[in-house]
Amino acid sequence: MTADPDKYILKVDGLGVTYGDFVAVKDVGFNVLQGEIFGLLGPNGAGKTSTLSAIEGLLKFKQGTIIVDGQDVQQKPLYAKASMGVQLQSTSFQPELNVVQILQLFSGIYGVPKNKDEIKEMLKDIKLEDHAHKKFGQLSGGQQQRVSLVIATIHNPKLVLLDEPTTGLDPQSRRQLWERIEAIKAKGHAVLLTTHSMEEAEAVCDRIAIIDHGRVIAIDTPQALVDKHRDDPEVIAVSRRGKITLEDVFIGLTGTAVRD
Amino acid sequence: METTVIPKSSAVFKTLVRADMATLFSNRRSVVISLLVPLIILVSWKPLVKVMGGPFALSTAITIGLMAIGLMGYTLSVSRDRDKGIFQRLRVAPVPTWAIMSSRIFIQLVMIMVLTLLVFIVGYQYDKITLSTEGYLLTFGVAILGGAVYLSLGQLIVGLIKTAETINAVTRLTYFLFIMVGMFGEMGTLGPQVKEGVHWSPYGSVKLMLAASMEPAKWTHDTTITVWVCLGYIIVFAGIGIKKFKWNSK
Repeated sequence: MTADPDKYILKVDGLGVTYGDFVAVKDVGFNVLQGEIFGLLGPNGAGKTSTLSAIEGLLKFKQGTIIVDGQDVQQKPLYAKASMGVQLQSTSFQPELNVVQILQLFSGIYGVPKNKDEIKEMLKDIKLEDHAHKKFGQLSGGQQQRVSLVIATIHNPKLVLLDEPTTGLDPQSRRQLWERIEAIKAKGHAVLLTTHSMEEAEAVCDRIAIIDHGRVIAIDTPQALVDKHRDDPEVIAVSRRGKITLEDVFIGLTGTAVRD
Repeated sequence: METTVIPKSSAVFKTLVRADMATLFSNRRSVVISLLVPLIILVSWKPLVKVMGGPFALSTAITIGLMAIGLMGYTLSVSRDRDKGIFQRLRVAPVPTWAIMSSRIFIQLVMIMVLTLLVFIVGYQYDKITLSTEGYLLTFGVAILGGAVYLSLGQLIVGLIKTAETINAVTRLTYFLFIMVGMFGEMGTLGPQVKEGVHWSPYGSVKLMLAASMEPAKWTHDTTITVWVCLGYIIVFAGIGIKKFKWNSK
């Protein structure tokens, strides 16, 4: 499905997040369109997690607005949350519950209760039908991500938020997850994902925003960003093999200093 | 534009309770152990029943069980789930925060009812302790009030302390202190001032309230004051605990 430029599912406008005197996010703004995979990239501590937490309703912010499918996340948090599916960076479910019980829990709290046959079908779809009664902690990293992703889309949300979804996965599992993310897009959902992998951003994202020191410093398609910045001296200086890549642009724009 | 529908709070609460029950069932060994402590005390105090009376033994056993439920059961499960990010996962869903906590508290209330019933059964079977019908009914109600004192104390601990390891240590220490100082202090072994302090402490107040509820005819003005003291504990502990509580341990 092609993104419709007139139909945005997520609109972040003038977002500001502070922790005491520390300004984590300042005047951040971007839209995510229906049927679009949008990547949020940035070095550690750049403000990605704070931005994502504000969208998810996990933290209160004093500046700016966030609208999810027409619902203000601060004014109508439950309605906004009902319109989005979330996969957190460190996915944790009750370790005592098995996969079926976890799916029953989340289908119930999203208001789409599933019977045993429906759950069996969902597990078959993610090739985990033989692991139905395993505890979540007993699954491999790739299997856990598949369960998390199916939970994030269990209620057919308009917006799916994925926080570093492929971290720690082997190449096969990563490719499989990319295909699943693209399948989510094909169904018309909007996807916002954060990642440290430039390869991932280039492979799956329609547009990306680079965020640094709490501000968005660039937004465009991966190719357009490369084209726009290929002649920047900072980008050329960090280029390793002559050919300018998205990673060169990213490091050129955010600097070479290692962030903690 | 499609209208966004949020799930009914009652359905969400029911789903959370079912999951929390499944979690409790998976942890049945630790549940049994926490229920065993008051029952062992009740059985081992058989010779004291004749001297101190049935209500004394039953109220001590229930008080110790309530402490285990409030301090160990509730507090440890909340601190662990906060540490593991389980609350954050629930909070990004359209779930009112009150429903997440109410479900936890509901499970503990069920535990309180089971504990009280077990103490009554063992007390009757082993020590032949019987109460009037009003006594049984009133004790169930007062056990819930007493349980609320320890649940709110648990809430205070998870509100003031963030790390699960420190909470674990503090709750165990508090539990041990209440049992040792409470039991010996109320008998006067630790001196009159400690005895007076224990009388108005969460341990002494809950125990006195429970003992009086088992013999409604002996309910005095002093007992009514104790009920108010317990309500005061609940308001202060829960008030501070809820205000200071953070959903994320990071």
